[in-house]
Amino acid sequence: MGALLRSRRGAVVFFGLAALTPIVVRDAYFLDSLVLILLWGALSAAWNVAGGYAGQVSIGHASFFGIGAYSAALMVTRFGRGPWLGLLVGVVLSIGAGLIIGFLSNRLKGPYFALSTIAFSQVLLIGVSRWRGFTAGGEGIPVPFRPGFATLGLGHAGWVYMALSVALVCYAVEVYLERSRVGYQLAGVREDEDAAEALGIPTRKLKVGAVALSAALTSVCGSLWAQYVGFVDPTYVFSVDLSVRFALNAIIGGMGTALGPFLGSLLITSLETYLRATFAGVKAGFTGIYLIIYGTALILVVRFVPDGLAGIASRIRWMRRAHA
Amino acid sequence: MDPAARLGPAQISVLAQLVVSTVLLGGIYALISVGLTLIFGIMRVVNFAHGEFLMLGMYLAFWAFLVFTADPYFVVFVAIPLFFVVGLVVYALVMRGVIHASHNVQIFTTVGLSTVLQNVALVAWSGDFRFVRPWHLSTVLRAGATTFNLSQVVASLIAAALTLALVAFMKWTHAGRVMRATAQDRDAATLMGIDTDRVYRLTFAIGIAAVGAAGVLVAPLYAVYPTAGLQFVLLSYVVVVLGGLGDMLGALIGSLIVAAVEVAGSYFFGVAWKEIFYFILFILVLVFRPAGLFGQRGAETLGV
Repeated sequence: MGALLRSRRGAVVFFGLAALTPIVVRDAYFLDSLVLILLWGALSAAWNVAGGYAGQVSIGHASFFGIGAYSAALMVTRFGRGPWLGLLVGVVLSIGAGLIIGFLSNRLKGPYFALSTIAFSQVLLIGVSRWRGFTAGGEGIPVPFRPGFATLGLGHAGWVYMALSVALVCYAVEVYLERSRVGYQLAGVREDEDAAEALGIPTRKLKVGAVALSAALTSVCGSLWAQYVGFVDPTYVFSVDLSVRFALNAIIGGMGTALGPFLGSLLITSLETYLRATFAGVKAGFTGIYLIIYGTALILVVRFVPDGLAGIASRIRWMRRAHA
Repeated sequence: MDPAARLGPAQISVLAQLVVSTVLLGGIYALISVGLTLIFGIMRVVNFAHGEFLMLGMYLAFWAFLVFTADPYFVVFVAIPLFFVVGLVVYALVMRGVIHASHNVQIFTTVGLSTVLQNVALVAWSGDFRFVRPWHLSTVLRAGATTFNLSQVVASLIAAALTLALVAFMKWTHAGRVMRATAQDRDAATLMGIDTDRVYRLTFAIGIAAVGAAGVLVAPLYAVYPTAGLQFVLLSYVVVVLGGLGDMLGALIGSLIVAAVEVAGSYFFGVAWKEIFYFILFILVLVFRPAGLFGQRGAETLGV
């Protein structure tokens, strides 16, 4: 355990600081940013399970996020039950959806798989937008705020710890995939599927499993997000932009590394918060300018630093060790 | 009741109308998709920013109409060289560096490009829905029991002509042969003295010119806004996968199939549901015939 913590110094510092912040800081704006950094980080870590570790690059992960968000919101507003039950239903549905997409991943590679995931999220977007009687369609659903843990009506500090818990779960899953036998097998599948298959690794099962696990984690974050933000609408929760965002944090931070998605989220979410404050006066301009920077960053990072921030960090460490 | 008895004159005219609408829509979809399939076939890159060039074409038509009251069907002939140059510039700045990179790098490069272009449009021209309303939009043509408007007919005709011209270019010109040779075997083409970088540059520019022209042509028929490209690009993925990625004639047939599904779907189930049918069709094709309806089996798992 001690050795594990020492080798994960970055993560200990990151999550430790996040845990201490609500004790020291009371500023609502700051704590809100922290919740979002952790939640977006957790979502990207969930994406990373499929995209980074298993090599199943999806641009339709918003499907699972939306399933989670809608399950929680509808459970509260339509059935009068707690959001936790909705969260659970969302996980079950997302695993089902993940198995379907995972099945596709056995037949399709590279751009074909990415295309099929986009199509899947679009089918859900259209379905939810048009099924007005049940989902309220394009208008979206306001989620009522009821204080208490059972109804997920938490204060700022409460939300920080909630987001932190989910972030730690996602992080733990990633660490498991780095250190376990299953993780090595997945790496084998990602790097050379035919070779992995020849070695007797159950490549199909592993890929489907990774996508389903990633879907379940994404769904949990989606449910929490719905309760935190208090509003769900189909054009946002199923959007391609959102799917890209999950991937973006992971790519900027470092695909296939455990802490990478959180570093990416820290950078991107802080940038967003900063720009929102800077361009507060320019109404329509803000989102546009922010997204132009975000798109440009994506193009530059995949081209010049394909292993992301985590990759830069490990290269610096490597060079230091070489000099010592 | 006997099924033949149900097919009275009223049903036949509905059928005729549906067929005419399918052909008109299919012609436009073909021009949108042919650039995507060309770029994929030769460069092995799925251009996720394809819809954004369509959107830019729509804005070109809008501004030309607003400022110079220029008819979109004349603007299209300006758009072709203009978007050809845009394609050259984007290739040099963005695509050239990733042409030999992995699929993931290529996917996210074009996804990033798509985000940038959408938001440049948002910042420059706001998110308002804009409309281009030339005179021919309100001119209705009648032929037998079918009716359609002049804009749609002209747009389809020009689109079909441009698509066929492109197919002919690929088949019969020297440049087209060189491009196809590069698609078949990049290394062998290089050994034969073909400058593949030049081929890719030309391919990308032609693909963008085609989709830019398509954008100008569809501008009078649909609202113009920064994310207008999305609905069309999703549709052209369906077309291109149906026809087999990289297969231009396949794209033509794929366009007609998608148009038929859309027209029949909106007639029988309502306009609101039309998209869901071609996405379901898309997923079914991906599952059962991933290389396209006429494509070779196995192309999708080679990762080409």
